[in-house]
This record gives sequence, C-alpha cells and structure tokens, in this order.
Amino acid sequence: MGAGNGLPRAIHDLEQEFAGLADEIPESPEKRAISLLHGIVMEMWRSLGHGPGGGDGRLADVAELYRTAPPMEAPAVSEPLAPGSEAPDFALLDGSGHTVRLSDLRGRPVVLVFYPLDWSPGCSQQLDLYQQELDEFRRRGAELVAISVDSLYSHGAWAAVRGLTFPLLADFHPKGEVARAYSVWRDRDGFSDRALYVVDPDGTIRYGHVTPYLHHVPDIYELLEAVDQVAGVHA
Amino acid sequence: MRTTAPSTTTVPLTVYGRRWCAISQMIRRYLDRMGIPYQYVDLDRHPEVDRQLSWVTGGRVRTPIVQLDGQLLVQPSVQELARALSRTGVR
Repeated sequence: MGAGNGLPRAIHDLEQEFAGLADEIPESPEKRAISLLHGIVMEMWRSLGHGPGGGDGRLADVAELYRTAPPMEAPAVSEPLAPGSEAPDFALLDGSGHTVRLSDLRGRPVVLVFYPLDWSPGCSQQLDLYQQELDEFRRRGAELVAISVDSLYSHGAWAAVRGLTFPLLADFHPKGEVARAYSVWRDRDGFSDRALYVVDPDGTIRYGHVTPYLHHVPDIYELLEAVDQVAGVHA
Repeated sequence: MRTTAPSTTTVPLTVYGRRWCAISQMIRRYLDRMGIPYQYVDLDRHPEVDRQLSWVTGGRVRTPIVQLDGQLLVQPSVQELARALSRTGVR
C-alpha cells in the first residue's frame, strides 16, 4: 500500500526514520557520505518517471541552460526614482520589432521590469514568475513590460524559448539610455540593476524598488500589492 | 512561519523557501491560487532548519524545498509539484 504521496508505505516509514537520525550521528565524513547517498536516492526516485517531464529535447535543454550559467550576485549600485516623479517616456523596440512607447500605455497601470540580461539565471526565473502571474497583472488592468540592454533578436529568441508573451524591450542603442533615465544603470557592468517601477495611468511613478543584490528577485506579493494600490486609486 | 487558508486537506505540505527566490515565489503563488494549504518556512528567518534540510538532501539546500507528506522535492517545477500533489490526492 502507498502512503498517499506516491511513496510506498515502507519507503515512507524509512524516510521518517532517516530524518530522525540527523542529531544522533556526529558530524563526520561518514555522516556526509550517508547524507549524500540519501540525496542520490531521493533524486533517483524523482527521475523514475516522477520528476520533471521529458520536455521537448534541445529546446528544453536551452531553456534549462540558466541553471548552470555563471552566477550574477553583486550588490545593487542604484536607488530608484522617488514615487511622485514623472516616469520618463521612452520608445523601444520589442522582440518582434514593434516600437513600444510608455506614453502609448497611458490609462492603465504599467509595471516596468528592469532586469540585467536575457538568458541569465535570475532573469530567467524572474520572468518565468511574471509569465506565470500574467493573468494577475491583467486582472488588475495592468500592463507589464520588461527592459534590458539585449538586442531585439536576443529578446525574440529568449521569449520563444521561455514562452514569455509580454513585451521584452531592447534598451540597446544608445545602450542603457532608458535604464539611466530611470536611475538603475550599472555603469561598471553595462547593464541595469534589477528594478521595478509601477507607473500610474497618468504616467506618474507610484512605486520603485531596486533589489539589494542582483540575484534577488523582488517579492511578487509586494509588487501585486503596489499594483493594487495604483489600480485602486484610479478605479 | 505562516499557513494559508482555507484548509481542505490533511496532507502535510511545507515549503522551505526564501522571499527573494523566484522559484519559491512561483511555488507559493501556485499553491495560493489552487487554495492548497501549506506551511511556509522562510530560511532567511529560520536558519536553524538548514541543518536538517542539509542532512536529508545530501547538502543540496537549494530553495524551494517542498516537503509533501514525507517526500522531499528540491527546486521542483510547478508541473512536478502538481504531479506530486495529484498522487497524494490533493488535487
């Protein structure tokens, strides 16, 4: 009989017993080896048809490249523009070659997502999160656009691989001009800090946030609350 | 630690995550949306849990770690978690 979670009862009971042994074995290479073996068994169980699906071969492999890509973990260097400031207008190309102007998005809340680089670890996960939550932004009547210094061709390929359907805008030439206007430019690196702005339907910044470290992804609960406040004020 | 409501199942489900971790956020938002109750343990606020997690994962404490009725999933995708929940009968 199973234990209700896909694990046979015997394995389930053994798991419980194993977990309870942690404090009884002194720290040692042997303890480390036993722990590693348990980790191996756990992952083998996942891989036996219980883990992540097979995906679609090479494309799925490309989508997973970020997991082994070099990390990006430096502290932030910028402070966001203050709430109440007018949001600087911009006209940038998206991954399809269409021009997106902030001023064309008047009349609804706009979430501006500044991220360092396409294909990088934190950015892949952050934009996956926004894709998953896209209906939540739409339900609030908000538009979400993401901006980095990558070219429109990189944006197009990256969006296709990750299944991103919101606009990725190319702050490509002059490089980082919009990130500079929004005070989130990292001159030493040639890309922006990881930052968010919520712009109200009249074009005024109501929320700004720069993550303290590049690998930190902003709290989605806090972001949705900020959008709620802007949407509520203008409801 | 916090627990979401409403409670509709007795299967113990714990998410060990970090507030700034995107995958932790994806897993939590998914569970919220599905109305599946869970205990959330933020490892930045509860570093004492690290030792036990390290023991059972072979030292691979990568967030999120989802504990579902005894089974541990290290950095599961939402799809993998959905399959695991389905096997438990949660959804």
